[in-house]
Order: sequence, then C-alpha cells, then structure tokens
Amino acid sequence: MEGDADQAARLGGEITAADLSADSILSTLSAAMEEVGARYETGEYFIPEMLRSAAAVEAALQVLDPFLFERRADQAGVVVIGTVRGDVHNIGKNIIVSALRAGGYKVYDLGVNVSAAKFAAKVGEVDADLLLLSAFTTSTKQSLLDVISALEAAGLRDRVKVVSGGAAHSPELAREVGVDAFAGDVKSTLAVCRELMGGS
Amino acid sequence: MNSRERFLAVLAGETPDMVPVVPVLDGYFAPKLIGRRNDDCWADGNCLAEALAAAQRQFDHDGVVAEMGLGPDPDVLGCRVEIEGNQVPLVVETLVEDAGDLAKIPIPDPWRDGKMEPVRRLAEQVGREAAILGSVRSPFEYAATVRGLAGFFADFYRDPEFAHQLIAACLPATLAVGKALVRAGADAIVIKDSFASTSMISPAHYREFAYPAEAEAIAALKETAPVILHICRNSLPILPEMARTGAAALEIDSPVDLEQARQAVDGKVVLKGNIDAVAVMEKGSPADVERAVKVAMAAAKAGGRFILSTGDSIPAGAPLENVAALVEFGRAYGKY
Repeated sequence: MEGDADQAARLGGEITAADLSADSILSTLSAAMEEVGARYETGEYFIPEMLRSAAAVEAALQVLDPFLFERRADQAGVVVIGTVRGDVHNIGKNIIVSALRAGGYKVYDLGVNVSAAKFAAKVGEVDADLLLLSAFTTSTKQSLLDVISALEAAGLRDRVKVVSGGAAHSPELAREVGVDAFAGDVKSTLAVCRELMGGS
Repeated sequence: MNSRERFLAVLAGETPDMVPVVPVLDGYFAPKLIGRRNDDCWADGNCLAEALAAAQRQFDHDGVVAEMGLGPDPDVLGCRVEIEGNQVPLVVETLVEDAGDLAKIPIPDPWRDGKMEPVRRLAEQVGREAAILGSVRSPFEYAATVRGLAGFFADFYRDPEFAHQLIAACLPATLAVGKALVRAGADAIVIKDSFASTSMISPAHYREFAYPAEAEAIAALKETAPVILHICRNSLPILPEMARTGAAALEIDSPVDLEQARQAVDGKVVLKGNIDAVAVMEKGSPADVERAVKVAMAAAKAGGRFILSTGDSIPAGAPLENVAALVEFGRAYGKY
C-alpha cells in the first residue's frame, strides 16, 4: 500500500516460499488496493500515489503469478478491459486492472483507443465473464454504443456483463448506452464485479 | 469602455465599468455556430478562427480564447496526433521515455507553416473590440504530454530528478508559443496547467514540480502580456501559491467555491471563473445560468478583481441560449 514496487516484489518472493494460500495472498493485495482507493476518495492519496501502489501490486503479482495459479483452482472471473475508441486516458483503467488482478481476476487489458470490433473479438476469444469499458472524455458516448452493437452483432451480448466507468461518466449515461452497470471508482468497480459474478 | 478595454482594465488592477464576461468558449463549442464539425476545426486553424469570430459576433462576450487547433501541431510538440470522427485530437504516440530522449523535445517555431496565421486572422477580425486570450500549455503540461501522463506521474517517485529535467526542457516551448501568440495579436496569455490540479496531484507535488515552472514561465512572459493561470477542477489548496506565481489572474473551475477562493488569495489577484461548464452551461437552463451568475457575482464582484467565466470549456452540447444568458446576466448583474 505504501507503493514500493521493489519491496513488494521481494516480499512476493518470500511469500512464495512460505506456505500461504492463494486466497489469503490475493485478499491481502485486494484489500490493500481497496484501501488505496479509499485514501484517494478522502483526499489523502492522489493519482501518482495510486499509480505507485498499483505498480507495487503488479510487481508482487508478477512474482507470485505462477504460484497463485498452482494454489488456486478457480479464478474470480475473466475480465476484458480497455479504454474505448476516441479516448487515450489509461491511468484509471490501469489502476482498476491492478485492483482486479489483486482481486483474483484473469484480466485481458486491451489498452487505449480500442475499437468496438476488438472488444467483441476478445470477449469471444477468451469467453469473458465481464467487459469493463473505460471512457474519460464526454465525447465517447458513441464509442460505448458501438461496443454494445458489436457485442450484439457477434451474438455475445447475453454472455458477458458490461460495466462502464470513467471521469466523464454517470449512472444515467450508463443506462442510456445500455451497459449492465456503472462503476465510478476502485472500490465500487470491485463491488460491482463481485456482484455481477454472483458473489456478495 | 469597449470589451477589450474592460478586460485589460481588470488585469491592470483598475475597476472597469462592469465585470467582463469571458467564457472558455473554444474549439468544443464554437464550430457548430458556422455549421462545421469539431474535427473540421481542429484540423484547420482557419476554420476555428472563423468559428470563434462568429461566436464573438453572436454573443458579444468580452474576450475570445484562441487555443486548440490555432497553435502549432495543435500544441503537442511533435507527438503523433490523430483526429478521428467528431472527437478531440488524441496524442497517440509520446516522445520521451528517458533522459536520453530529452533532446528530442523541439522548441517550436510557431510561425512556421502558417500555424499562427489563424490567430492573427482572428485578432484582425475581433481584436479591436474584444480581447484575444492566447492559450498555451505550461511546461508541466507539455512534460506530461510528451512523456505520457502515467509515466510522468510515476517519475515523481521513481526518478524525480528526471521529472524536473523534463519540465525544464519544456519551458522553452511554453515561452516560444506564448510569445508567438502575443505577436499574432493576443492581449493576454492563458497558461494551462490542467494536470497540476489537486484533483490529480498532491499540494506537495504541485509545489515541488508544477509551481516553479509556472513561476518561471510567467516571469518571462508577463514582460510581453498579462498572464492568466488556468488550473481546472480543484485548486483551492494551492491558490495561495498560484497567486504568488506572478499571474495577473487565476482561472478557477467550478469545484472551487469562489468566496473561499477569494479569501485564499486575500483579494490580491484577479479571479476568473467559475460557472459549471457541464451542470449549468450544458445541462442547465437560462434560469440556472442566471442563478449561477448571481452567486458568482455575490462572491467575487466586489473590488473589481473579477472576470465572469465558465470554469472550463463550454461543451459542444451546450444550448446556444445558455451562452447568450451567461453574457446577458453577466451584464445585468455585473455593473459597478
């Protein structure tokens, strides 16, 4: 949570040597990212601090990854995520990616300025449970609509839950474009994903 | 007093006949007034100049913001930009990864390829009556643009010395574009430092990275023209420092309470703001605009150090009658 990537990686190495369950490792990392999100909400952390924490989680996960898959039978879910066409903001998305990985999800990050066709193709290819669309600018409504259309055209719309989020977004816009849920920050994204996956 | 005189009087510390009304009416909103799309105008500075001049004739606001598309390479120092559909230009390829790339940052020659010509043309059309506000990125914002925002923010912890070097390497670009804008006819320079907002970085990081470069740029540019410092979203915790940069005015966005802002700067610097560009200008009605203008005037009009503005760019979807209402009620409630 203090965002030291080197230390996180070293600790990750130590954890792999110890006999800790994958669930306990992930729940610790996930709780840390939720706390980072909470500190952002209260004004204690800012974006550089969130990025630093996310980088530390990524560093730890990189070391832990093979061990986690040995020790954990099921993933929390399969997620495809990206920033929609017409938008290159990646900071919020990258933080969410780290938080989801820490939460035990298998995450396919398609990057920024992603076309509707690319989203739909990846969802089909990896049989995603969740599709997370990041849209920061106000001009991206059409891009969100395009993704929904592409999923429908590919016959995938009823097989994947779609969540949108980003600074320019609101629950109203999410309803307008026809996604399943809106999430405005790290904590609510994790909560929405858990809910859509049928958890509590 | 005409519009230009009114605006310049406030920046010179004089009390005008009424509060100038200078909304951030730029490349998002103006193109539709001449029946063009945003991407037409972002790709063609002359289109935007025509749209901005048409907007000024229609709404009679006191100053015109000359930015986006009117600057060089729309102001992104050689980073590869794509304009797709009717959307804002996107920087799709950044320039700088490490210290070895610092030499790649160009010092722009804004007159090359006729890129300042649209500003000159705009100034020629409206510059006698209305003020022209030439808008340029701060060294901090240029640095974030050429480096990529995530990498730049990560550098604050990973390699702060590199972040400082990068910002310093971008200072000449801010100065070159700022001076070119004035030569083309701008009466004032707006330095945009959007990423320095405390909605994004901590006040400590603002003081360490953004403030010194703002102060240096303003010291150099205010010899040429008065400088307005724009930081969007929240800036309340750093307003005292912003006031110390030497800026003639501070552009305040809608999340900041104007009354608190005035107290924070101790009435020593002009405030420009801060009608909510989305909730009021885009989603509201003329009656909402009137209410917001009354609140802003009550908070900041007294003493003459106030320019009524939107907090940020008026969105493309804002109704024309709301922009007309902003000027109308600004005049009605702004008399001294």
